[in-house]
Amino acid sequence: MKENILIIGGGAAGMEAATQLQKMGLTPIIVEKSENLGGHIAQWDRLFPAFHPAKDVVDQMLSQVKDIKTYLNTEVADIQKDNDGFHAVLSNNEKIDAKAVILATGFDIFKAERKQEYGYGIYNNVMTSVELEKFFRTGKDERINNPKKIGFVHCVGARDVKVCNTYCSKVCCTTALKQACEIKEVFPDAEVYTFYMDLRMFGPGYEDLYLKTQKDFDVKCVRGRVCEVSENMDGKLVIKAEDTLFGKPLKMTLDVLILMCAMEKNKSIDTIQQKLGIADNSDGFMQNKDMYLGMNGTAQDGVFVAGACTAPKSLPDTIGEARSVATQVFNYINNK
Amino acid sequence: MNSQIFHPFVLPFVLGMAFVLTYCFVGLFKVILQLPKDDRRQFLRSLVTPKTAWANIRDLFGDCLFHVKIWKRNPLLGYMHSAIAFGWFMIIVIGHVMLFTLKPLEGVEVEGFARTFTNFYYPIFFKYFAEETPVFAFLMDFFLLMIISGILIAVAKKIHSKIVGVKRVTKFGFADNMIRFALWTIFPFRLIAEKTNIMAFWWLYSFDLLIFMFMLPFTRYMHIPTEALFILMRHAGLNAREPRKGYALAQLYSCPSCGLCIDACPMSVNDKMSGNTSAYFMKKLRNKDSEEAKRIAETCLMCGKCVMICPVSIESCDIKFSQRAAVPYEIHSDHSYLDVISTEAERSGEISSTKPKTLYFAGCMTQLTPKIMRAMQQIMESAGEEYDFLDKDGGICCGRPMLLSGKVAEAQAMIAKNTELIKKSGATKLVLSCPICYKVFKDEYHLEGVEIQHHTQYINELVKNGKLKVKKADVNYVYHDPCELGRAYGVYDEPREAIENVGNLLKAKSEKELSICCGGSLGSFNLTQKERDEITSNSVADLMFNNPDEIVTACPLCLKTFARKSPVPVKDIAELFVVHQA
Amino acid sequence: MDFGFCLSPSSHVKMDDIDLTTFNRLKDANPDINTCIACGSCTATCTAGNFTEMSFRRILLMLQRGKEEEAKKMIQRCMLCGKCTLVCPRGINIRKILLDITR
Ligand SMILES: Cc1cc2nc3c(=O)[nH]c(=O)nc-3n(C[C@H](O)[C@H](O)[C@H](O)COP(=O)(O)OP(=O)(O)OC[C@H]3O[C@@H](n4cnc5c(N)ncnc54)[C@H](O)[C@@H]3O)c2cc1C
Ligand code: SF4
Ligand code: SF4
Ligand code: SF4
Ligand code: SF4
Ligand code: SF4
Ligand code: SF4
Repeated sequence: MKENILIIGGGAAGMEAATQLQKMGLTPIIVEKSENLGGHIAQWDRLFPAFHPAKDVVDQMLSQVKDIKTYLNTEVADIQKDNDGFHAVLSNNEKIDAKAVILATGFDIFKAERKQEYGYGIYNNVMTSVELEKFFRTGKDERINNPKKIGFVHCVGARDVKVCNTYCSKVCCTTALKQACEIKEVFPDAEVYTFYMDLRMFGPGYEDLYLKTQKDFDVKCVRGRVCEVSENMDGKLVIKAEDTLFGKPLKMTLDVLILMCAMEKNKSIDTIQQKLGIADNSDGFMQNKDMYLGMNGTAQDGVFVAGACTAPKSLPDTIGEARSVATQVFNYINNK
Repeated sequence: MNSQIFHPFVLPFVLGMAFVLTYCFVGLFKVILQLPKDDRRQFLRSLVTPKTAWANIRDLFGDCLFHVKIWKRNPLLGYMHSAIAFGWFMIIVIGHVMLFTLKPLEGVEVEGFARTFTNFYYPIFFKYFAEETPVFAFLMDFFLLMIISGILIAVAKKIHSKIVGVKRVTKFGFADNMIRFALWTIFPFRLIAEKTNIMAFWWLYSFDLLIFMFMLPFTRYMHIPTEALFILMRHAGLNAREPRKGYALAQLYSCPSCGLCIDACPMSVNDKMSGNTSAYFMKKLRNKDSEEAKRIAETCLMCGKCVMICPVSIESCDIKFSQRAAVPYEIHSDHSYLDVISTEAERSGEISSTKPKTLYFAGCMTQLTPKIMRAMQQIMESAGEEYDFLDKDGGICCGRPMLLSGKVAEAQAMIAKNTELIKKSGATKLVLSCPICYKVFKDEYHLEGVEIQHHTQYINELVKNGKLKVKKADVNYVYHDPCELGRAYGVYDEPREAIENVGNLLKAKSEKELSICCGGSLGSFNLTQKERDEITSNSVADLMFNNPDEIVTACPLCLKTFARKSPVPVKDIAELFVVHQA
Repeated sequence: MDFGFCLSPSSHVKMDDIDLTTFNRLKDANPDINTCIACGSCTATCTAGNFTEMSFRRILLMLQRGKEEEAKKMIQRCMLCGKCTLVCPRGINIRKILLDITR
């Protein structure tokens, strides 16, 4: 019983779903837009909460999918459904017939320029969490010159009606604390501040990470949202926030400011999604059938979802969903 | 012709006329008495000043009779209005002229009071009592038919308002509908009566007039007599000071609820919000529904588009402003802390060493759009200007947002302090990035010897006199006119001229005077984020009409507001002149 | 039971005795007042806060903790400039609420 399953997106969710489906005897086909598999985790250095190298995880996943048919630098240009299943045309004009489709297109990073008051793209020393991960991987970033004072801003592009994103992006609190520790490892003498509204440390080992940040790394957490960033005569950043626990506004000069940018839905899939008749939810991510038992299903029979395309998720969340989507697809094919 | 000088059917008319004349005269005196003393003197003086007197005559004819403004907007609608107004006016005039052609009726002596009394209704029912000479008969029929043709259009408009290019019409109550029906039937009845001399129609005609005149004061048709007074007062240069008194009252009654401002208003993106437009505000205030009037006054964005479009030139924003100012406050501001504030330069004692020629005031909103501040700084540097920032590190609000809330007195401390700081700096030019500031600096500040410029004007000047060198790129821009810069000050050409130097300028669907507020205006207190978003989306769609690559604006608030909803990048005009520097 | 240990009056906020009339009046007119997450953006950006103690976040709390007089005093500093409204991540119509408090 060999049946094609089209998986759009070759990130953690897509690869894991493909691995499982193959083990179940189905034929997954991955269509990946970029030039390599791995998705976002391939861009990270070490993963929270255990500081495990992301590369290990990605390599392990890659080795599992090496026999699976994969299209790189390819997108789905058109898709149709009839009684036989789905008929997709790829951007390289190849045609694929499939019995089911899994959307695993993941997320995009909030464009920090949109929050103009934080000065990204205006002041040199404002950077994003993604760029900091790159610094940890490569050790190179001209903005980071033995900094003495570093600040992290939480919830950039999340929990903010002013940028039309009202949801919490879930992983950025943990990421901020993880990165705060890592930067202290590189620059032990630097003072590191994080500016948060709520610290959402939601999983196993995450509260321990928080403890570690405080005990071992002397990271200072200030409860208050940064509202304005400017630059002084010496080219240093000046931030304004309220220290809400102390009850007074504060001003501070920093050498580097890191913006914890939120996850947003990856919009490159929008036209295909529309063709399949799948709407977005109120947060702008893909709408699944329901939040509980139908989390992998969609409004369209035979189309499934997994990973960060339906909401911000951590890697363990994503892997869990990828495995469950495989089961769902298996049952769907067999009950036909 | 019937050989009598009186018939009871004239009585309803006489009654109505007597009523309406009394009402109007009492009203006239009331309005004039309500004017503050200085306003009253100014008003009376304007009546005899040749310049204003001439303007009065011109507009009384042009606006009340010929409705020139409506013609310009839509000829059919213009014809409808002037056919009825001018036709009716002519019928009355000719009726009176014909009095002179009257031959005394045989055997009937009409003298003294009786003569005056007959003069009162003869012109209205002429054909019943006397012979018309052929020329007059033709003229009367001509104008009567003219009126009826106007009424036919009005009926058609009622059935289908799109005919005359109006999308939304004001919703009316019973009284308004009834008087409208009376107005529509007066002239057909008269025509039938004149042609057939059936008594019933003379009665109907006369009763219609009674209904019309009796209801006139209680309906929107009161605008017909009031508009004349309003025109005189407007030319006298008065200002609405209290929402339901004096000049404002005259304006309230001059609004015919034509509804043109409903279509024009940015809030009309949905039916619910269109209830916040000026037409309804005027109506609620006229009907003494003060709670609603207050709510609407505080909901309006104060973008000024309704004032721009109003065929009667009603200054509804000023009335809303006076309505805001009329709300009592329990707690008053205390800005005494401003007294002790000094500038950075003063504190460090280095004042007077370098006196900048140009002072840049970013304004509160611009503090949240560092791109504009950064761009302005780069522009002033490249142009080699001697400049300084008045509020680099956060300044004092210009006072306009406070003024907009109606708290006029409480804005004074801010205005005074800023004035002091600017004067102390010794600058000869003040450049502003925020049109909200620009308006208040122009209107309320007394900065003799300091030229006030918005940065659109300033940049255009720098480019023109060669201080700022730029090169043209192949980018398609569309420019949004911020309300407080465009409609308030007519700054339309400078920004466009400037942009032409760095890229291609496309047109928006609605431009200049007709530009649509971004929806972010500080003018509104009540609009929710969701309602504002709807306005913004509509305004963006209008700007995207010709598919520009980028939207350019010249106000920090517009910039922030549009950025939420725009499919293309939104930039302040200053940013272009950094990107495209030669 | 009161053993009379206190030397000075308790500094607790007496939540049982607080008069919420003003706050409830504001809430009825502006239901979004309850959505504040106390992020402090309004305070940090405040134009008047540059020179004074002005803090909208605290005004809201004062009104809910029986410190109405303090709140009314603080609000006199406000310039109504609207920056707070522009930065509030919850989209609270702060300027309107500020205006309503002074009525
Ligand atoms: C700064 C940051 C740090 C993080 N750190 C951690 C951490 O330490 N630990 C942890 O557990 N989680 C972490 N996460 C979360 C983690 O990155 C996500 O859970 C995970 O990447 C989700 O995987 P995904 O496959 O659903 O989406 P993605 O990783 O976004 O993968 C989607 C894939 O689909 C492809 N694609 C998109 N559109 C198309 C299309 N139209 N056609 C074809 N292909 C398409 C993309 O190219 C991509 O390869 C972090 C997140 C962020 C933002
Ligand atoms: S996870 Fe933390 S930083 Fe991210 S959006 Fe939620 S609260 Fe903000
Ligand atoms: S305010 Fe002007 S435009 Fe609006 S209804 Fe009245 S007359 Fe018409
Ligand atoms: S000022 Fe603008 S928002 Fe207010 S009623 Fe007039 S058109 Fe509408
Ligand atoms: S009007 Fe606006 S931009 Fe101008 S100073 Fe005041 S708040 Fe600021
Ligand atoms: S409106 Fe008042 S409270 Fe808000 S930022 Fe301005 S001064 Fe501060
Ligand atoms: S900015 Fe808004 S959410 Fe934040 S403290 Fe102020 S009112 Fe509350």
